[in-house]
Amino acid sequence: MLYGMAFIRIQDVGKSFETAAGKFFALRDVCLSIEGGEFVAIVGKSGSGKSTLLNLVAGIDRPTQGTVDVGTTAVHRLTENQLAAWRGKNVGVVFQFFQLMPTLTAIENVMLPMDFRGVWPPRERLDRARRLLADVALGDQAAKLPAELSGGEQQRVAIARALANDPPLIVADEPTGNLDSRTADAVFALFTDLVRHGKTIVFVTHDRDLASRASRLITLSDGRIVDDTGGAGRVPVGAGPPAAVPVPSAAAAARVDDGGGPP
Amino acid sequence: MPLPPRWRKVWRDLWLHRSRTVLVVVSIAVGVFAVGVVAGTRQILARELEASFASINPASATLQTLAPFGSDLVRSVAAMPAVAEAEGRRTVYVRLETAPGVWTNVQLIAIPDFRAITLDRVLPVTGAWPPPERGVLIERSAIGLVQHAVGDDVVIKTPSGRRKTMRLAGLAFDAYALPYTLDGVAFGYITYDTLAWLGEPRDYNELHLTVAENRHDRDHITDVVEQVRDKVERDGRAIFFMTIPEPGKHPLDSTIQGMLLLLGVMGALALGLSGFLVTNTVAALLAQETWQIGVMKAIGAQRQQIAGMYAGMVAAYGALALVVAVPTGILGTRAFTQLMAGYLNLTVSDARVPPAVLALQVGIALVVPLVAAAVPIVAGTRISVREAIAAYGLGTGRFGTHRLDRWVERVRGLSRPTLLSLRNTFRRKARLTLTLATLTMAGAMFIATFSVNASLTRTLDGMLELWQWDIAAQFSQSYRVERLRNAALSVPGVVAAEGWSYTTARHTSATGGGGSSLLSFSVPLIVFAPPAESRLIKPPLIRGRWLVPQDEQAIVVTTGVLDDQAGLDVGGRLALRIGGRDTTWTVVGVTQGIGPMPFVYANYPYFSALVREAGRAQWLAVVTDRHDPEALGGIAEQLEAELEQAGLRVGLIAEIHQERAEVAAIFEGILALLLVMVGLLAVVGGLGLAGTMSLNVIERTREIGVMRAIGASDLALLRIFVTEGMLIGFLSWALALVVSVPLSIAITRALGGALLGSALKTVFSPVGAAAWLGIVLVVAALASVLPARSATRVSVRSVLAYE
Ligand SMILES: Nc1ncnc2c1ncn2[C@@H]1O[C@H](COP(=O)(O)OP(=O)(O)OP(=O)(O)O)[C@@H](O)[C@H]1O
Ligand SMILES: [Mg+2]
Repeated sequence: MLYGMAFIRIQDVGKSFETAAGKFFALRDVCLSIEGGEFVAIVGKSGSGKSTLLNLVAGIDRPTQGTVDVGTTAVHRLTENQLAAWRGKNVGVVFQFFQLMPTLTAIENVMLPMDFRGVWPPRERLDRARRLLADVALGDQAAKLPAELSGGEQQRVAIARALANDPPLIVADEPTGNLDSRTADAVFALFTDLVRHGKTIVFVTHDRDLASRASRLITLSDGRIVDDTGGAGRVPVGAGPPAAVPVPSAAAAARVDDGGGPP
Repeated sequence: MPLPPRWRKVWRDLWLHRSRTVLVVVSIAVGVFAVGVVAGTRQILARELEASFASINPASATLQTLAPFGSDLVRSVAAMPAVAEAEGRRTVYVRLETAPGVWTNVQLIAIPDFRAITLDRVLPVTGAWPPPERGVLIERSAIGLVQHAVGDDVVIKTPSGRRKTMRLAGLAFDAYALPYTLDGVAFGYITYDTLAWLGEPRDYNELHLTVAENRHDRDHITDVVEQVRDKVERDGRAIFFMTIPEPGKHPLDSTIQGMLLLLGVMGALALGLSGFLVTNTVAALLAQETWQIGVMKAIGAQRQQIAGMYAGMVAAYGALALVVAVPTGILGTRAFTQLMAGYLNLTVSDARVPPAVLALQVGIALVVPLVAAAVPIVAGTRISVREAIAAYGLGTGRFGTHRLDRWVERVRGLSRPTLLSLRNTFRRKARLTLTLATLTMAGAMFIATFSVNASLTRTLDGMLELWQWDIAAQFSQSYRVERLRNAALSVPGVVAAEGWSYTTARHTSATGGGGSSLLSFSVPLIVFAPPAESRLIKPPLIRGRWLVPQDEQAIVVTTGVLDDQAGLDVGGRLALRIGGRDTTWTVVGVTQGIGPMPFVYANYPYFSALVREAGRAQWLAVVTDRHDPEALGGIAEQLEAELEQAGLRVGLIAEIHQERAEVAAIFEGILALLLVMVGLLAVVGGLGLAGTMSLNVIERTREIGVMRAIGASDLALLRIFVTEGMLIGFLSWALALVVSVPLSIAITRALGGALLGSALKTVFSPVGAAAWLGIVLVVAALASVLPARSATRVSVRSVLAYE
């Protein structure tokens, strides 16, 4: 039923904030379609609205105007609580500062989303978390606490966590912003690999070089899209060194919880 | 199956912040412990009192006559259709030698057949049963008073002045006997053969009876007792004393209930205060973990799941508190029950804490913290993901926006670090409010307890000022006043002596006489008739005037007399039945009562003539030249010997300092209990402050690191936090001072009602206020030193790594 429709559809979206100085528009009249399997980079200077846009895509925030649809879900209509449940199954979020639960081990962090959403039967969760950690080449670090891991390792755990419930969409706000360029490359390679296995990835970056390796590049300025190059179907260029083995469950990558999927 | 990761997080957070966990758990445990002990003691005492009472088959009423009567009267009362059982006994007051030359009052009760007691049963404890001839069984709670062991021979003086040596043959238990500390008289039980051997006639002066129907209906009992009274009076015996206990209740029931209520209120208060600490801790915890909440929401946690995690953590606090509070509560209940049982002369046969009390503890340990945490949990988990992630890393607690802040800002002339402490104190207003509330309540209770003590002592002193005599003797019959005075004045050390009329009376309208809220009893009015110009009595007048020599038919009454006489006051008329005569009086004054007994005072010359006893007295009041207890004791011994010598039959001898000690003993017991509870409150208050201070330190780790970086020494950091803690302590003291005023008034009112049957005048105790200032400052310093020390351990480097 979704044939002919993009996976992510953003229409006439505006986002304003009430500030002491009056209404401030972080996004204005944004229209954007992203097909399933696209690898999208969002760039722009600080304060241009990148994070705001990404939050709307991830259902972390709701627009003040317009509609945001992901798969068959009208995200802008969901309540905070419905959004949380929807995110848990459909979106994997990766943060700049990794944001792992400090008192949980790596593998427990990966299991946490499964715990909240209960997608996998409890018996399978540990095995799945092990496989995901192995996929990000951290199979032997499973029992460590975040404080005992390097930044790059923490970010890889965070990516494994984002994949826990096998969501079709991954969003990442400056996922490499806190990593040196070599580590950033390794993390980026993981993303490329995920896209190859059918995931849709939208990420924000300040790194021109990384951005250029995405399949599509969206540039924001003052809350508007000022440039949009690449687009659906482009194969990622210049994939970095193969840092990880392919994600075994990639076949299910395009699955959306209501059965809808990318064209 | 392994614990799901979110519960592992909860569990690790509990463990990681052990000191915080311990603090919260201990404070909940204190509250749960206090409530458990009070509720448990109440239940056990109620259960045991009922069992103990049922086993003795308590009489519905007891009548004491002035003249003795025989078994025919007992039989004819027993035969009345409204009466189920009737039993006669004889009570004799004797003096028992506790040490050479030292005598104490013993009330000997002769029972016709120890194996066939039907009413007010006396039960064997140790030794012989029934008592052998020439042997006495002492009520077990009085064994400390007689200072002899079972098997000893003891010397007693009979009312006729004869000395007899008796065997202390064993101990008995009489549920009605209050421990001697409460009324200074020991009870002893003898057979009629022993009674005859003592030279007393084999007849009765006490009639115990139960009603046939409606045993728990006091009005019905009163009706029946009136019939019995009429019968006894028709038989020519004037009633001296008539007692109708509250059916099925221990005589001290209302006192026990009042005290338990007060303790229960304090227990609930301790619990409430520990709830505040939970609120504070959970609020701080959620503020600290805001970003974690945001991240969990971002990865799919719904609000109720996160709320559930924190609720689970709070429930774990409650469960851990139970681990502490249940066993200590059981021990505490045992100890407290024993203490109360001793006070009530009660054997606790089964000290098991009722399951309902354990269930109550479980319930409050789980519910109270959850209720206390509900607001911060609801508020803390409401935050949206965007806000939570955006707020990450920011300090919390705003200073500068509130009017109070601007006021604090204006404070000048303090050192920079002190200023910092002052401003920090006001940063977390909700937390400060709850901490202050905790400490303030503890402080107010503490100060109020001291004020209550001062009020009780003042009242006691005031009450005893009534008696300006040092020694008094009560006689079993009246004697000519001149004879009494001559005998007394011949004793060295006696400087003045007066003879007074002393008898009992009752309202013509009512059976009982004055009510009493201390004893669940109907008792008669006690009549004293000193000469109006007597200087040996100084009643604390509340309204009206004291007697004047020309007074006739004028009467001064204690407040207790007015209790069940609606509308009666100064100027009103009072109809009294005295020694079988109906008399009418005009109330000219109202005075504070001494203890729960209702007293009336009349003018001696008129009164003694009225009762056909002109020139005679049953009461001798004596003033001595020395007043220390030893000297008084010596003079009392000589006086007793002298009176005996003169052939005067002494019933009881009272020394004023003993009277004082007896009342003081009751007060002290209550105050000790209050202080224990206040101690618990202070502990909870201190824990609350320690909790607040450690939360402040944890929250300001980043700031501390920065202060460190700009050169703050250990001492400077320590001073900032300790000053802050002591500032809170001082503020709470000032507030406690204010709150203690209405609190003191309320408690003295309630206690006065329970103990003395009238409201007390509240005296405020500067000692309590000063002591609490000292305590709260020390507690505050201690409560902030530990968190402050952990602040000094914060290194600049660790702050950079701080999440
Ligand atoms: N809660 C808010 N209230 C008011 N203004 C906001 C809020 N959140 C964001 N803004 C404003 O909206 C604009 C866009 O913010 P956004 O975080 O999307 O920028 P960004 O492109 O991600 O910048 P950066 O590269 O620095 O992260 C900024 O000017 C910011 O100040
Ligand atoms: Mg941003």
